[in-house]
Amino acid sequence: MAFHLKSLTGRKARAGLAALALALSSTVALAAEKLQYFTWSGYELPDFNKSFLAAHPDGVEASIFGDDDDAFTKVKAGFRPDIAHPCYDKVARWNKEGLLQPIDTKRIKNWDSIFPVFKNLPDLQAGDGKVWMVPWDWGNTSILYRTDLVKNPEASWNLLWDKQYAGRMATIDAVHDTPIVAALLAGVNPFDMTAEQMDKVAEKLREQRPLLSSYTTDMTSVEQALASGQLVAAMTWNASATSLKKQGVPVEFMKPKEGMLTWACGFVMLKDAKNVDLAYDFINSRLDADSGKYLIQSYGYGSSLSTAFAGVSKEELDKLQLPADPDVMLKSTIFTGPMKQNDDVAKMFEKVKAGG
Amino acid sequence: MSAIIAARTPEARSSSGFRATMLLPGALVTFLLILFALGLVLFLAFRGNDGSLLGVGLTVENFATVATDPLYWTVTLRSLVIAGLVTLATVVTAYPVAYYLAFHAGHRRGLLLFLVTLPFWTSYLLRVFAWKIVLAYNGVLNSALIESGIWSEPTLAFLNTPAAVVVTLAHAYAPFAILPIYVALDTIPKSLLEAASDLGARPFTAFRRVVLPNSMPGVLAAALVVFVPTVGDYVTPAMVGGPASTMIGTLIQSQFGKANDWPFGAALSVCVMLVILLVVLVARGADRRFGSRT
Repeated sequence: MAFHLKSLTGRKARAGLAALALALSSTVALAAEKLQYFTWSGYELPDFNKSFLAAHPDGVEASIFGDDDDAFTKVKAGFRPDIAHPCYDKVARWNKEGLLQPIDTKRIKNWDSIFPVFKNLPDLQAGDGKVWMVPWDWGNTSILYRTDLVKNPEASWNLLWDKQYAGRMATIDAVHDTPIVAALLAGVNPFDMTAEQMDKVAEKLREQRPLLSSYTTDMTSVEQALASGQLVAAMTWNASATSLKKQGVPVEFMKPKEGMLTWACGFVMLKDAKNVDLAYDFINSRLDADSGKYLIQSYGYGSSLSTAFAGVSKEELDKLQLPADPDVMLKSTIFTGPMKQNDDVAKMFEKVKAGG
Repeated sequence: MSAIIAARTPEARSSSGFRATMLLPGALVTFLLILFALGLVLFLAFRGNDGSLLGVGLTVENFATVATDPLYWTVTLRSLVIAGLVTLATVVTAYPVAYYLAFHAGHRRGLLLFLVTLPFWTSYLLRVFAWKIVLAYNGVLNSALIESGIWSEPTLAFLNTPAAVVVTLAHAYAPFAILPIYVALDTIPKSLLEAASDLGARPFTAFRRVVLPNSMPGVLAAALVVFVPTVGDYVTPAMVGGPASTMIGTLIQSQFGKANDWPFGAALSVCVMLVILLVVLVARGADRRFGSRT
């Protein structure tokens, strides 16, 4: 009896295993046909790559990150998308880890329309007409504040250190945002600092911690909190300003005298990308002028394409506080390039956040 | 005699084969996933960080940093206090529910047990967001207090505080406390209670002298089941906690994320495991002294 039972379970188990293996292999096969895209939350919208989806219906599967340092450790630990969307300051780091393969600009049809200021960024160059990243979007980081709750503030990052708004401010939980601003206020070069200078930055960050309601990358929560009046000021990106103004919330995106932070991000191809052709199709589709126009109008971010700006009126750009030429922007802002001590600053920032 | 042995042997052999088959999945999970992963964490904790996945060299520097930097002690202590408060709140509120279930629920018991497990039907994140809605500046609690005239201005004191973490976690872990306490209460022989009242004990005395001591194993089990996972929680403080409620789990997670120092994260994890082990040993000691029924 027991013997029968055993052989039966054995057979059942084998059948079960076979079914499981079949199911697994079919999902793997299914996944292999889709482009795996690893991006910031909010950047997976189908409107950004309409022509790609027309040619390959349901052809992309997006995974989301809230911060590209987290994305880096995830990829380093073995996550293998085809395309990822980090910002420029991280490219050298991804590259050093041997995660990337060069992208042939000859296969990027709108390459010539990309602003030279982005095309010529040093860490992008892979030689021989190839690049490590295809720039796609750029924008600013600044303070978004409620004009009815913060009356005529001085245009300075110091607002986020103002004790009278204690508990009603939030800042971005990312190394290339909050610590850079703290460094600017401490009079330290954010992109290359000595150990003593880093202590000064840490001191500045410690001063801010008790005043904050949260360190976050969840911009939806920040926008809701600003709309409800729980927060009166927060460090955000353009998109939050655009979205709250559209809702009629009285907010202003500050032009701090120390300078906004300007960043540029784009697409990198992972070394073991399985769908290289799909990846090129995807990048080309994202570089349609229409996609860029949609990015400008819906999020208020800049497109890397000069042709995308051609479709947006000057009044609209003025309202978005976005010049049609990134060079104009960069004259008054600070471009977030690679930070030499990125890992050390990250560790320091984590300690300060925890109360150390 | 030998005939009996001969008759028993195949039976015994096949039953041990059956046992081995049944134990196999558990053993595989234990050895491949749990012990191997723990070994890896332990190995990583003694490595230096060079940005690579497994680190380099062999060093105790990570542990030296944990031991000498007061920050890690502060944050660990904060985690223990928050988890302790969560455990206390959960057990104290779960006990009456379990008591009602065991002694007074009658035919409604099945329905009530079902309701107790109902929150598990939704994702943990949804439950956290539900609490955000309740505690927010323009949330349910603030609106109710203003409507009823108790407060004129909404207060920031609910959300982004350690108290919010305690409330959210206590709610999330309530079923984990209710079920073991209920089982402990339900298995108390009813004759003991009859004997107590026969001997003239008032209901409260009977509860204090008979029910409570007999249910202690369930209470201690509940406390452990709630305490151990909440010490290392990092999602809840990130969502409803604010900077003042950073827990040790948050620090560990950031070492594996932004800070990109896996060996140090592993060392922190090992230290937290040791601290929790210590707490569990103390609890077991307490169980042996106060908890056992016989």
